[in-house]
Amino acid sequence: MKRNASRLLVIMMCAVIPVHAADDPKQRKDLAAVIALQGLPCGEVVRYEVKGDNDYLATCKDGNRYRVFVNAEGRVVVQKQ
Amino acid sequence: MPAAPKAPAAPAAVPRKPEVAARKPEAAPPVAAKPEGPPPLDLESLEQRLKETNAIGVLTKLSLKNQVDDLLEQFRDYYQGRLKTTLAELRRLYELLLMKTLSLLQDGDPTLAKAIHGSREAIWAILSDRDKFSKLP
Repeated sequence: MKRNASRLLVIMMCAVIPVHAADDPKQRKDLAAVIALQGLPCGEVVRYEVKGDNDYLATCKDGNRYRVFVNAEGRVVVQKQ
Repeated sequence: MPAAPKAPAAPAAVPRKPEVAARKPEAAPPVAAKPEGPPPLDLESLEQRLKETNAIGVLTKLSLKNQVDDLLEQFRDYYQGRLKTTLAELRRLYELLLMKTLSLLQDGDPTLAKAIHGSREAIWAILSDRDKFSKLP
C-alpha cells in the first residue's frame, strides 16, 4: 500500500513538472551558441530538456550541463549545473 | 534669375545607390575606384536584418541583443564620466562582440556577415563620437 502511494506520488510529480527531453537540432545549436556567447565551455549540445517556457537544461558533449533561461528582465542567463 | 546648369556632384564620402539613369558613355565622369562589397549598413537596417535572419536562433538573438545593450550602456557611462575606461578598451570590446556576431552568422547568412563586416568602421565612427552617439535612438 505504502509502495503504491509512493509510485502514485512520483507519477503525479512527473505530470506536474513540465520537464521533458527534446531533440530539435536547431534548438541544440541555439543553446550551444548562447553558451558560447557567454564564454563558457561546451562545444556542442548533445541533448537538452525543456523545463518551461524559455527554460532549458542543456548537456554538452564535454559533459558540462547548463541551465539556459530568460529571466524576468528579458536577459538570457546561463547557469552551470 | 534663370537656373544655372547643375554642376556634377562632388564625390560623397558616404556611398550612394548607383545611378540607374542612362548616360552617354562619353559623358560619364571618371569614377573613383570603390572597395568591393555592399555599402555600410546603418544601425537600424542592421538590427532589422539580424532580427530577420534564420541563421541564428531566438535565444542567440536575444543573447546578442543583451550584449549589444550592455556595450551601449558602457559607452553611455563612459561619455557621462561614470565609467573609468578608455576608448581603446571600448574598441576592444566592440571588436570582440563583432567577432562573436560574425562567427555566428558566417555559415548560415554569409551575406549579412559580409555586410556587418563592411559596416565595422561606419558603426565605430558613430560609437566613438560623443555627438553621434548621443543622437542614437
